[in-house]
Amino acid sequence: MPIKTWELDPNFKNEIMNEAGGERLASCFQCSTCTLGCPITEFVPGYNPRKIIQMSLLGMREEVLSNPDLWVCLICQTCTARCPQDVRIADVLGALRRIAEREEEAGNLKIDSPRPLFDKAFQHQLKKFGRLYDMGLAMEYYPKKEGSFIKGMLAMMKDYKDFGMRMFLKGKMGPLGGGSPVKGMLASKIKQKDVMKKIFEELGEEGKEK
Amino acid sequence: MSVDKLAYYPGCPSEATAIEQHMSTEAVFEKLGVELVEVEDWNCCGAAEVEDPRLVYALNARNLAIAEKDDLDIVTPCSICYYNLERSNKALKADEALRTKLKGIDNSLDYGGKIKTKHVLDVFVNDIGLDEISSKLEKKVNVKVAPYYGCYIGRPPETAFDDPDNPVLMDKLIELIGGEIVPNFNYMKTVCCGGPLMMTRGDIAFDMARKILDVAKNAGADCIALACPLCGMMLDGKQADIEKALDVTIGMPVVYITQLLGLALGIEPNKLGLNKNAVDTKEILGKVV
Repeated sequence: MPIKTWELDPNFKNEIMNEAGGERLASCFQCSTCTLGCPITEFVPGYNPRKIIQMSLLGMREEVLSNPDLWVCLICQTCTARCPQDVRIADVLGALRRIAEREEEAGNLKIDSPRPLFDKAFQHQLKKFGRLYDMGLAMEYYPKKEGSFIKGMLAMMKDYKDFGMRMFLKGKMGPLGGGSPVKGMLASKIKQKDVMKKIFEELGEEGKEK
Repeated sequence: MSVDKLAYYPGCPSEATAIEQHMSTEAVFEKLGVELVEVEDWNCCGAAEVEDPRLVYALNARNLAIAEKDDLDIVTPCSICYYNLERSNKALKADEALRTKLKGIDNSLDYGGKIKTKHVLDVFVNDIGLDEISSKLEKKVNVKVAPYYGCYIGRPPETAFDDPDNPVLMDKLIELIGGEIVPNFNYMKTVCCGGPLMMTRGDIAFDMARKILDVAKNAGADCIALACPLCGMMLDGKQADIEKALDVTIGMPVVYITQLLGLALGIEPNKLGLNKNAVDTKEILGKVV
């Protein structure tokens, strides 16, 4: 499909380069080393970080920010390590994900992936407890992903019933490992939780929504 | 030996899913005569789910500041924690305005930029050294190993401490303790396990992890050795789920490098948490002589 030049946003590249991690975007000379080394290309047909970078440079803002491929990046850093131009592609994609999340919050975009919900649920655990609480994360993420509490719990059971039992039997969660009978089932909390709250309220996107 | 005391950052999985990595790390350092002082009241590093670098720097500034008070360098067994600690350490050392800003948020984030952050593999091979470790070995771990490094040991360049495409630190330790590196696994050493997509695109994550397990199995490995709790969760914790979902039989034991090293140092298997790996490790124990 031809690119409609009058629909391009010439400021998009600057917007990305002003976002932490996006600074090196304009150095890309389109060699495709990022795409050739990317492990996801084997599993997601058409996945092409080189193309995302070029579309970003051209100013195809809407197409880039609504591209579901942004959300299957593993942040494995292979592209960043191999890039001859030091574009830091993994960080550029992270910057794009954050811009997309802000656009979705502003009601301008619908992200076709549950990953923002997962990342937010993860950050909520940190803000509340200072450490990752796996059960709390799953209890928050699954209902949001599935659209209702019941559906969420059913999906969680499907994904994690066997795994949870395995962890229990190995004593990684629950009483079999000795020590606390609720190990892994209750949150491990740090003493200075107030500092976590301050960090997220001062610097985080999610602090704004309380 | 150039190191006798370090601050220890266990990371969140140390309390549950990767407790065997935590147990074996503590046991191995004790045996090597290096005192670990756990970073008091440590908080999460942000893992891969906190993407905004400003948040990552703030979260890690607190942990760095706590270790700095004791004037100790930090060591961590987790590759993702290492990446976040090290990149924060670099950013904070280079940027006084950032340090001042974080101090303004809370005094506990007041980090002076005076300590180093290290991954356990780096400390074993480059600080303690193979000769020193060799002098303390009690047993031969006669296993064929597929050494799986994952993402954050050789990448990205500014925090890497091993080769990006063919890392060797784990290989050196395995050979030192009498193990054999299986041929034909090299090209999988640093291919991501899929872990970051486990909760949002489990289908892709399972395919990626299965490939690593398959290559290790076809290469004739007795076990996979690794150094990251997310890789551990994917390849070991979820292995039975992968077998069920993809209708395959794999049965590949997966252990942390600290567990293998601990066996060679003559430490009791249960003290290394070898009864806690999801895939049974008894066959490995039978090859410790």
